[in-house]
Amino acid sequence: MILEILSIGLIASACLALFLDEVIYSVAALSGTFLFTALLYYVNGAVYAAIFQFAVGVGTLAILFLSGEMLSEKSAKKTSPKKLSALVGAGLVLSLPAIFLSISSSTGVYYNTSFGNALWHLSGVDVILQALVILTVALGIAIILYEKKGEK
Amino acid sequence: MDFVILSLVMLGIGIYGLLTNRQLLKVFISIELIATAATLNFVMLATSAGQGLGQAFLILAFSTDTALSAVILSLLVIVSKKYGTSNINEILKMQENKNSEAE
Repeated sequence: MILEILSIGLIASACLALFLDEVIYSVAALSGTFLFTALLYYVNGAVYAAIFQFAVGVGTLAILFLSGEMLSEKSAKKTSPKKLSALVGAGLVLSLPAIFLSISSSTGVYYNTSFGNALWHLSGVDVILQALVILTVALGIAIILYEKKGEK
Repeated sequence: MDFVILSLVMLGIGIYGLLTNRQLLKVFISIELIATAATLNFVMLATSAGQGLGQAFLILAFSTDTALSAVILSLLVIVSKKYGTSNINEILKMQENKNSEAE
């Protein structure tokens, strides 16, 4: 039952995030999407994934709130309660196929690998390479901003 | 309860939003939803099979996604500061006007 409620909340908050008129409310709805995703992971036993989703979600949302406040144009257009309820209803209807239909099969060859083993032994090189890529991206952004400041 | 269908629905919502929204920030939110749908599918299939591999790959995918988000957001801020709007249609119109004036 709890999985069904979480999936309805996930789809409804995704619909709200995309189709609400105010950008700030959209970002708030996106935070709901991240929260429901983290809860789905937790309920299914993927605890590390849930914690990581929550932490990354909070960081992304903080930046999105700031940039949303900066970029959004102040418009008089407000979301009506009718549209709000229609969006929630659409989310409810769209989540029904996930609750009642099934296309997955349980056949397959499974290898039981622990999280630590998978992260450090199977994909340790990937982790290090990715850290290097992210560091390069951060340095690139810092250099571009520094050069722009120098031009001014 | 089927998580493949759930992530498929999420993907559909994200793609629909990507195609219909004209606000830069909404486009970014659509991209976030598509990324969430992909990771949801991946983690749910892996955990239902009892593997930690899916969670390990999720961490790698999230790191890439966060770096991508930082680059996209910085580009959004630069574009909206340059053109004074965050509407894609208006930005395209301004660019067309600029090109025709240059010719």
